[in-house]
Amino acid sequence: MEEKLNLSVILPIKSAVVKDFDEFFDKAIKSLKIQQIGFNELIIVHTQEEQLVSKLKAYDFESLNVKLIEHTKEPNYQSQINLGIESASSEWVSFFEFDDEYSNIWFKNVKKYSELYSDVEAFLPIVVDVDHKDVFAGFTNEATFAANFTQEMGYLNNETLLDYQNFQTAGMVVKKSVLEDFGGFKSSMKLTFVYEFLLRITYNSVRIMTIPKIGYKHMSMREGSIFWSYKNGESTITNEEVKFWISTAKKEYFFSNDRDIKYEVQSV
Amino acid sequence: MIEKIKGSIANIESKSNRIYFFVQDTRGNAKASIKYMYDMALTLKNEGYNVIMLYEKKEYTPVSSWLNSDYDVIEHQILEGTNLAISPEDTLVIPEIFGFIMEQVKNLPCGKIVLSQAYDHIYETISPGASWFQYGFHKCITTSDIQKTYITNNMKNVSIDVITPVISDVFVEPVFPPKTMIAMVSREQRDGVNIIKEFYNKYPQYRFFTFKDLRGLSHEEFANGLKDCFMSVWIDPTSSFGTFPLESMKMGIPVVGKVPNMVPEWMKEDNGVWIENHLQFTDVIADMVQTWLEDNVKPELYTNSKETASRYSDMEKFKSEVVFLFSDFINKRKEAFEAQILEQ
Repeated sequence: MEEKLNLSVILPIKSAVVKDFDEFFDKAIKSLKIQQIGFNELIIVHTQEEQLVSKLKAYDFESLNVKLIEHTKEPNYQSQINLGIESASSEWVSFFEFDDEYSNIWFKNVKKYSELYSDVEAFLPIVVDVDHKDVFAGFTNEATFAANFTQEMGYLNNETLLDYQNFQTAGMVVKKSVLEDFGGFKSSMKLTFVYEFLLRITYNSVRIMTIPKIGYKHMSMREGSIFWSYKNGESTITNEEVKFWISTAKKEYFFSNDRDIKYEVQSV
Repeated sequence: MIEKIKGSIANIESKSNRIYFFVQDTRGNAKASIKYMYDMALTLKNEGYNVIMLYEKKEYTPVSSWLNSDYDVIEHQILEGTNLAISPEDTLVIPEIFGFIMEQVKNLPCGKIVLSQAYDHIYETISPGASWFQYGFHKCITTSDIQKTYITNNMKNVSIDVITPVISDVFVEPVFPPKTMIAMVSREQRDGVNIIKEFYNKYPQYRFFTFKDLRGLSHEEFANGLKDCFMSVWIDPTSSFGTFPLESMKMGIPVVGKVPNMVPEWMKEDNGVWIENHLQFTDVIADMVQTWLEDNVKPELYTNSKETASRYSDMEKFKSEVVFLFSDFINKRKEAFEAQILEQ
């Protein structure tokens, strides 16, 4: 019998009208096909953009079990992810991005670690960050192993997060029940929605462990990506707003629901 | 005279003759060479022999501080300020590093055995030009065939037996996977420290890996400390056996090590990552780190190293070799006493 991880991979896509979309998408899907163990389903939550819809419908996913789900509201990464979570039929879910790649050992390691550490409800991969030229830029999520960083080596807790924000959820594998109990990503939050989410689940005593294996390759600051647009695109945000969203994350994580926070420029 | 000899024979037959092991004070630090001696002593004690550990000064730190309490049953005796009662039927076992003690006891009529575990200590305290034979030590126990060859070429007229050390059962493969930790044991502390600093400087992306210095730990703490490590680094150019790499290998931890001057007979191309040049250490460690992060360490490295270590894990074989060697040595002494009676 084929070894399988009870997992739904959620892949939100806003647009296919992006430089090198086909190349990125091919690599991303291939990284799922070559996993050393299988998984349940790939849920692609896409917008109504015509080019994207036609590409996805025509794409050969081979043996992958793919669900295409249309997101009919204003395109938004967080709400697309949340819609994917609602549709997931597995014990675990993972967040994927079309310009990223899983390493082929990742699901195998999640299965191994989840069987050994039954109290852990979320696993972070060591993420290899690359720039738009695919050049190594650094690791993320590795800090849980740094000396004297956390109380328990390899685990991420709320106290540590309050001091250090640089963790990411792309590639993370988390129990669906955690998201049902404590909520998914908050759509109203800009910039720090990942940070707020991690603060929230650790505040609620969810055990998060980094598996000391390279599980994910993340392309940082791709032109057109959400964080690129905060810096260079239409949604540029000021330093003041950055501070606002960081402090907001630290206040909002006590609430499971999205309280529709808005940034407003204070008049002097 | 004959009565004295008969008394010696009677003592041997009743196993009341003494076997003295002269031990070094490790000051509470775990040391494989001392454990080897205590394993021998305990084996003989359990076989009914009258075993006594001799130590030099009253400040001696008992090994129970780093070995388990099983060894507490062995009698200890201080050498300093006491008159040591040694009879002809007794046996004195002295490690090679105590060349000056061998010289002091050369006129004692007892049986004498050199215990040589570290070839580079042989000449450390011995007088220039002197040999074990001159001090009445005609028998040597060592830990490997390669060391036996070396000793044979250096110390003439000494019969040499090999008793291979055993890797303790506290070194077992852990249930949980390792963390980003690297165990390091170096003979010279500065060698290890320099490698760590060079590694972090050359490969800052791997700063989340921690080197674990396992000095000063008890035997069980040492084994526990190894459990979280995914790799061991071994820097000991004058090693003559290599207990630390074998302990690591027994726990399924791959070893990166520099080939010692005396190449251990267990060291093969496919059971570890062995380097010739000390300057390669940090690059090889970095390569191993990346390979491990990618789950690309060859499975054969794990299986071969565990298979190697398993050959050094047979405690029963060790015990039977120890008992055979000592009983044979003592019986030959008895036969010599009997021959003396016949001559009279």
